[in-house]
Amino acid sequence: MLADGYRRLARAGSLAATLLTAPGFAQAAVSAEVKGDRELGEYLSAQCTTCHQISGRSIGGVPSIVAWPEDQFIAVITSYKEGQRDNETMRTISHSLSLEEIAALAAYFGSLKLTGQAQK
Amino acid sequence: MSGMTRRSLLGAGAAVVASAVTAPAVIGQARPRVVVVGGGPGGATVAKYVARDSAGAINVSLVEPSAKFVTCFHSNLYLGGYKTFEQITHSYEALTKNYGVNHVRQTAAFIDRDEKRVRTTDNTILSYDKLVVAPGIDLKYDSVPGWGQEHEQVMPHAWKAGPQTQLLKKRLDEVKNGGVIVMIAPPNPYRCPPGPYERVSMMAHVLKASGRTNCRIVIIDPKETYSKQGLFQDGWETFYKGMVEWLGPKVHDGLKSVDPKTGTVVTGFETYKDCALVNVIPAQMAGKIARDAGLADASGFCPIDPATMKSAKDPNLFIVGDACIPGDMPKSAFSANSQAKVAAMIIRNELTGSRTFPPRYNNTCWSLIETDNAVKVGGRYEPKDGKISAAETFVSKTGETAELRKQTQEENIGWYSGITTDIFG
Repeated sequence: MLADGYRRLARAGSLAATLLTAPGFAQAAVSAEVKGDRELGEYLSAQCTTCHQISGRSIGGVPSIVAWPEDQFIAVITSYKEGQRDNETMRTISHSLSLEEIAALAAYFGSLKLTGQAQK
Repeated sequence: MSGMTRRSLLGAGAAVVASAVTAPAVIGQARPRVVVVGGGPGGATVAKYVARDSAGAINVSLVEPSAKFVTCFHSNLYLGGYKTFEQITHSYEALTKNYGVNHVRQTAAFIDRDEKRVRTTDNTILSYDKLVVAPGIDLKYDSVPGWGQEHEQVMPHAWKAGPQTQLLKKRLDEVKNGGVIVMIAPPNPYRCPPGPYERVSMMAHVLKASGRTNCRIVIIDPKETYSKQGLFQDGWETFYKGMVEWLGPKVHDGLKSVDPKTGTVVTGFETYKDCALVNVIPAQMAGKIARDAGLADASGFCPIDPATMKSAKDPNLFIVGDACIPGDMPKSAFSANSQAKVAAMIIRNELTGSRTFPPRYNNTCWSLIETDNAVKVGGRYEPKDGKISAAETFVSKTGETAELRKQTQEENIGWYSGITTDIFG
């Protein structure tokens, strides 16, 4: 099941088409086997929540990243890190994250429940 | 170092807040006390994050006189008619109701660093184990010849959001077609580096949209270069051709004086008489409370330890936001919010033993040039070489597609909702 935010991201770019064949996806899939450090993820999430709302509410061009399946979360962040997606803000932040940290973020955001409503 | 003794502090008829003057904090015996001075993006974020993440283990007081906060960020969108004033105004209610932050509706008057106490203007005394100083900026009213605080109603600055913002919009709306607007831009360092130039863009947008295309906006800038310069100049040429003129110091040869009575601006290059509007954005410094506490250096801003956001002059104090010297980070709400989260993590660790992680700093500043046409600049930062150093930066490019510019503006709108929820929600 794809979370809403993931669907929106996929629509915004060609991610859905390229992800499964991208080198980063294989790496990400492997890293998903690593259990993410949720506490580390909670700390790192503060970098994300300046834009992405913890309730999962989506406003304007900032999608929800809450309650995604962990492997998909890892794949999306890795796609920024490896240059398959080119949003500069996301690319810059992803460059500061190790695979362990991406897994930690995936564990944290994946554990949250959507409580907010998407808005235009 | 503070010059006020405990006796003189308490002798001033102090009204004591009971919850804030309990015995010194000892983990397991009493709730440690954190006092935050200033309820802007930096201060309010620290207050929320410490209170929320400590789940009641830390007593957090936010000293902020206002019931609501008007954001400087996106105040240009209010000026441009894209947002209402209510949409850039935020209550502290969630901080008090949801996280238990004690909102002290007073102005901090004095920091007694020896006794670790803050006195407010009504002589309330707040003792602290950790203090966060986040007063934002003060304006240097003596930095523009002929202009001072007594003239800010005639020549508004609107660099502290609130009534000044509303005044600037009112004055802009009154400018007649053919009128000349002069902006006096500030010297570095100042709050929101792209802000003056986004503001000019929004002024031009309003004038153009209302058919006042014979108006001219002249920017008298003390700087040789400015943030997103190529992007703004390209945007002005594209959308507001002939309406905006930027003059650097080599051209204008210095701002000689302004005369608020006659609406005159004199430079070494030209005299602008009968200006329809003069927007003076003066030089800036850290808020008075920080300077009075001896936390600033000769620059007027406060040096910090880049790994912790602690004051370089007092390890019991943290300084976040526009008042600090943030190294390569710009003075922005995004930066303040980012710095605040590092400070909150360190504070919780030192007071409750919570886990620590390496500090992370990020910033992005979006600027709207015309409807659906926004640009951004940003980066990530890390403690290095004794300062917060840029590890990687980016900036939008000229020639980007209309679709990308529109996406950037949508991101800008989403960011505003996100950060204000992160701070105040």
